[in-house]
Amino acid sequence: MATPIHVPRINNNDDEVKILAFDVAIGAKVMAEQIIGQVETDKAVLDVTAPVNGYVLGFVGQPEEVVKVGSVMLWLGETAEEAIPEITTDAVGKTGSHASLITAKARIMLAQHGLQVGQIPAIDGRITVEAVERYLSQHGLAGTKIGANVAVAGIPTESLPEISGSPVDLTREEKGMAATVAWHRDFAVPGYIEIDYDLAFWAEYAKRFQEEKGLLMPPLLPLMASRLVEIAREVPRLNATFVGNKRYEYDSVNLGFTIQAGESLYLAVVRNAQELDQLGFVNSLGDVLRRATGHNLRESEASGATIGFSSMERWKVTRHIPILPPHTALMVAHAAGQGGRGVLGASYDHRVLNGGQVVAALKKLAQPKKD
Amino acid sequence: MPLNKETIEAEIKAKIVEIAAQTGDDASELAVDDIIPATGLIDSTGLLELIAWYEKTYEIPLAQEEINVDNLGSLTRMAEFVLRKKGML
Repeated sequence: MATPIHVPRINNNDDEVKILAFDVAIGAKVMAEQIIGQVETDKAVLDVTAPVNGYVLGFVGQPEEVVKVGSVMLWLGETAEEAIPEITTDAVGKTGSHASLITAKARIMLAQHGLQVGQIPAIDGRITVEAVERYLSQHGLAGTKIGANVAVAGIPTESLPEISGSPVDLTREEKGMAATVAWHRDFAVPGYIEIDYDLAFWAEYAKRFQEEKGLLMPPLLPLMASRLVEIAREVPRLNATFVGNKRYEYDSVNLGFTIQAGESLYLAVVRNAQELDQLGFVNSLGDVLRRATGHNLRESEASGATIGFSSMERWKVTRHIPILPPHTALMVAHAAGQGGRGVLGASYDHRVLNGGQVVAALKKLAQPKKD
Repeated sequence: MPLNKETIEAEIKAKIVEIAAQTGDDASELAVDDIIPATGLIDSTGLLELIAWYEKTYEIPLAQEEINVDNLGSLTRMAEFVLRKKGML
């Protein structure tokens, strides 16, 4: 059976990339992990590798062509003579014997990933989103941000409003947000919980820390985020997601922190935050936030969050319910306090966490760690 | 326009007034020696915006360890830091 090579995602904000080049010719034999070409966004270039040994059957995209993340760019076959499968919407479930066995969302996902119904092992006789998600995960395709593709696929099915208007292209950041919201809608089973807490403990702690270290920036939120990293290290299920009917606990804690920079909303990521001490984390977060403010986030700082922290205190918002970033299970919501009491909330994926576990985490977060 | 301390202080103050206005605060009374974070006129997000603007405007990329009260805590200190970085002080 022919194997598709999909267009990889370079970063969370780009749903399309440009094919730069193919390094192989039709009919050539390639080995697993061999570089077969390159794609780029305006920020980075990425090598694309073959997932398996095989022969190049043909290219779907061409150099200089802008293609959707997750679509097929090249087919590999077990022999050089194998035919390239035809990938059409019909071929993935609208007609034929599989039609009644596949859900609508699963059909969209198959189309976006260039997969065929026959490739997906059914769950209880049906091809569902979960079945496709499991297949993608097992084949290393989960990182192609399924939610983004579902969102893109959903657009053509929507009819235009009857009231006249003009379609406006989304910015890269807006596309990223749309992808995040789509993942939240299509995969997470979101819940929200909040507690109130005494503001004084953190306020005094942060003030002392700032004076001792001579920091320009008030470190309250970075210190709270640092505490969240500690808690996530102690309770691994907080730093996890749900894939293939299993909880997937991450090895590293990559803390995503929302930052509004002009009209753009970023989730700036401190990777391997569990390896940093308090000051190291505060400085690292300050660094990425500063780059986000200047719209200069590096590739690795704009994606890959495993847990999140969001504050709308600046806007005096007293409650907000964050959207979960793709493949996370917990996003803390910090809000403005009133009368000496603050609000700490969290959106969470109920497939991974229950309310009691989230409350326990929030209670720990409500106070600095005692030395 | 040649860089001098007073000009830089005035430019930075204008930016702070602009940032403070985003959250409904008035920074027009900010004095050159006021410790900016202690005034509460701009929050941490506003300070990030100020620093990003400061780096770009005066073309002085900052290391994280340079972003402290001693170097950038007041209008005067920010202006002197620019001049020091450019070898003009």
